[in-house]
Amino acid sequence: MAFLTAIACGGKWWVVGRWWTVGLFVLCALRATAADSAAVAPPSAEYQVKAVFLFNFAQFAEWPARAFADARVPLVIGILGDDPFGAYLDELVKNEKIGERPLAVRRYREVKDIVGCHILFVSRSEAARFDRIIPVLKGQSILTISDADAFTRHGGMVRFVTDSGKIRLRINVEAAKACGLTISSKIIRPATIVTAGKD
Amino acid sequence: MRFQNTPIRRKLMTMILGTSGVVLFLTCAAFIGYEFLTYRRTAIRELSTLGEIIATQSTGAVAFDNPHDATEILSALKAERHIVAACLYDKQGRLFSRYPADLPDGDLPLAPMPDGYRFIDGRLVGCTPLVQVKGSDRLGTLYLGSDMEAMYDRLRLYGGIAVLVIALSSTVAYALSRFFQRQISLPILALADTAKAVSDRRDYSVRATKHGTDELGLLTEAFNHMLAQIQEQNAVLEKRVRERTAELEAANDELEAFGSSAAHDLRTPLRAIKGFTDVLLDHRVGDLPPEAKRYVALIRDGSAQMSQLIEDLLSFSRLGRRELARQTLNVERLAREVLKELEGEYRGHRVQTRVAQLPDVDADPALVRVVFVNLLSNALKYSRTRDPAVVEVGVVQKSDEPSPVFFVRDNGVGFDMSNADKLFGVFQRLHLAHEFEGTGVGLATVRRIVERHGGRIWAEAAQDAGATFFFTLPKD
Repeated sequence: MAFLTAIACGGKWWVVGRWWTVGLFVLCALRATAADSAAVAPPSAEYQVKAVFLFNFAQFAEWPARAFADARVPLVIGILGDDPFGAYLDELVKNEKIGERPLAVRRYREVKDIVGCHILFVSRSEAARFDRIIPVLKGQSILTISDADAFTRHGGMVRFVTDSGKIRLRINVEAAKACGLTISSKIIRPATIVTAGKD
Repeated sequence: MRFQNTPIRRKLMTMILGTSGVVLFLTCAAFIGYEFLTYRRTAIRELSTLGEIIATQSTGAVAFDNPHDATEILSALKAERHIVAACLYDKQGRLFSRYPADLPDGDLPLAPMPDGYRFIDGRLVGCTPLVQVKGSDRLGTLYLGSDMEAMYDRLRLYGGIAVLVIALSSTVAYALSRFFQRQISLPILALADTAKAVSDRRDYSVRATKHGTDELGLLTEAFNHMLAQIQEQNAVLEKRVRERTAELEAANDELEAFGSSAAHDLRTPLRAIKGFTDVLLDHRVGDLPPEAKRYVALIRDGSAQMSQLIEDLLSFSRLGRRELARQTLNVERLAREVLKELEGEYRGHRVQTRVAQLPDVDADPALVRVVFVNLLSNALKYSRTRDPAVVEVGVVQKSDEPSPVFFVRDNGVGFDMSNADKLFGVFQRLHLAHEFEGTGVGLATVRRIVERHGGRIWAEAAQDAGATFFFTLPKD
């Protein structure tokens, strides 16, 4: 179980590789150590909350039917640019399901790599390229989320805003609607609705 | 008062009211019990529904960590005044938001309870999971606590209604039972009244009123029929008694008339016999041979005896016709007088006579004198073989006799008690005539006198050990 999980955790392939020649028992024993080492250096509390929010969006947004090839295809949470979550997000979505659908985390370096993604967190590292990235994603039914300041102004859908220690949502409902996405009114309530060109 | 002794009217009403009251009470109790159980189920269902609604609304606030919004959503619960506590827990089971906002921690469970609602300590409490997408993990938990006031309000209302219904129904039942019990009690009471009237007044002419053709009607009819039969039989009996009495009186009169005329007629030839034998013995005694003189003497004695017998019979038969002339009578003095008169009969014997102090009686003096003459002369007669003869007159009080019991006792020859029943019959004699002379009418006469006074006479004796005659003379 732990072994399979480790394989699924994309970021830790090197661990598996290093111990591949060792016996299965030793491998299994050290899988725990590897998981521990991931937990030893968790992301900041802020990013932990943001990771949970990313996962929660999977439940509070609806995608058009064309976004999934079939009912078993995983719902993919993508990270573009530098990954602030580390293994925490992987651990979080591990074994989780949205209805029948499993979850998967993928990391992208370039916007052109993005295929079959449903929720995309655009890292702050990409802030300078928002105006190039967002138009590429349009029409792909990807819920775009970022915690960078100008994200929604450039047509991003959701922005995490830190307000007196609390993380709040700014949602560009029109942008989501344009991509065929429906965001549950239940999170629009706690969120602040914004439109493109505004924060 | 015991139930079986209460009047039938009250008994019937108690039965009707008791039965209907119990039935009504049980019905109301069953209804309220059913309502109580139903209401508990309904309350659980309603709270579950409310929980679902609130939980569904709260998912966003909990998922995106917005306690402010969660509190706002929970505050909608104030529309339901029986919800006394509510809170949301996040995914990790930490308290996230509460209602009312100022509720102290002590009023809330520290961690979520198992899902579902149940009654604990008089409250309906429980949890609903917060799930956004069916099949996914829960986002948090909603806790709701409702007091039972709604149920108690309802039970109070039902209780009030039940009391009202029972009171109203009892009133109606009372009125109805008053009316209906008459159907049964009236004929029975009428019957009872009639029966009482019949037994009190011995009036068999009254009839019970018949109220219908049911069993009570039949009973009344049978009762009336019985009364009619008794009345009829009484009439027949009375008529028969009157007839018999008349017949007996006639026969008696006839017999007495016959007796006295026979006695009169017998006296005439007897006088001739006595007269001529007297003449023969007084004047022609020298003409008669000694043999004939003895025969004539026997004829004269025989005729004298017969004359006495006729006298006795006449006086006995006259007793039946004579009216009693009751007056206060000094019995003691009478007894002494009679003894004095009879002195001549025992001249030459040693006789001790004792007369005790005797009470006065209300009786016919002439007849009571006859009683004492007969009893005392008998006592003297049958004790003359004793030396000394003892004759005693006294009185005793017996528990079974209301009036004093007089007695005459002697120490004479007595008699065998097996013959005691023959003692008071006419011409009944227990001793041979040549031993003790007599006609056999005396005690019969005594008994007749005593019985005409309403009294009783009996004797106690033993062969050769004296005899005692007891008699009473009641006032009237």
